[in-house]
Amino acid sequence: MEEKFIIDLKEALEIEEHEVALTDKFRDYEEWDSLNRLSLIAMLDDEYGVQIENKEFEALITVADLINKIK
Amino acid sequence: MSTNPFSLESKTILISGASSGIGRQSAISCSLAGASLVLLGRNKKRLEETANLLGPSSSCKIYYFDLTDEEAVNGFIKSINSSFITLDGVIHAAGVSTTLPLRFSSFDKQETILKTNVMGPINLTKELIKKKGALIDGSSVIFIASIMATVGEIGKTLYGISKGALVAGVKSMALELAPRKVRVNSISPGVVKSPMSASSAYSKDDESLAIIEKLHPLGIGDVADVANACVYLLSDASKWVTGSNLIIDGGYTAR
Repeated sequence: MEEKFIIDLKEALEIEEHEVALTDKFRDYEEWDSLNRLSLIAMLDDEYGVQIENKEFEALITVADLINKIK
Repeated sequence: MSTNPFSLESKTILISGASSGIGRQSAISCSLAGASLVLLGRNKKRLEETANLLGPSSSCKIYYFDLTDEEAVNGFIKSINSSFITLDGVIHAAGVSTTLPLRFSSFDKQETILKTNVMGPINLTKELIKKKGALIDGSSVIFIASIMATVGEIGKTLYGISKGALVAGVKSMALELAPRKVRVNSISPGVVKSPMSASSAYSKDDESLAIIEKLHPLGIGDVADVANACVYLLSDASKWVTGSNLIIDGGYTAR
């Protein structure tokens, strides 16, 4: 699950070259912008059927938080 | 007959998407202007809520079905025909929005939005035109488009192409139906306060909302700002207006 999610995350954020750790704060990635934000939310919906309200999304800080959300 | 050219007295207006947002407000505004209404939506309860918002003396019939279901549309056309309902105007307000990056815009998602936003309303118009007596000569047809038909925004490719299709289609329909004095126009609103904009899950944080608000020199609009334009385009005051796209966006596209 974690492995697949990290692959999906890298693809959504177009950061395939990066090392991603569970403790990473994804908004701190250099590539983070409004399009990436949309892509991440769309990926969660598309791949995991998880629809997140904005307030809820704002509370997710780390990669581990995202994984907990889709579990 | 009223001497006020903006009156809708003695006119019967069909409104799709009447269970919420611009459609619901259009029902209220048209009713205030004196029109009898035929309201369409997918949800009976929410249509009844709209009907309850109209004055007690207002005349209103509701039909609930999915506009992308061809058989249901045919059934509806038969039903208004057997009830001797003739329409003086149509507002196509049914539609959905999406904010999705291009790379997530699958074939399925393209199909869904085009079916709901384009094929449904075009098909309903076609059936009304085909059925003798359904839409009277001199009537007015309005498609609710969006400024996303003419300008872009990140994640709005699918929504934009669906609304752009309506704006484009309106021009040819206007020419084709002009011999019958049927007028066809679109209205392109900017962002207005509605359930559609409120549920836009991908752009609802305070920061994005502030950015969107800033893009509208007059601020975010109200559904009534759009509904009032519908009243104008349905009324005799606009009898020389066809094939146009009326932009109502608080100045969004003025830059």
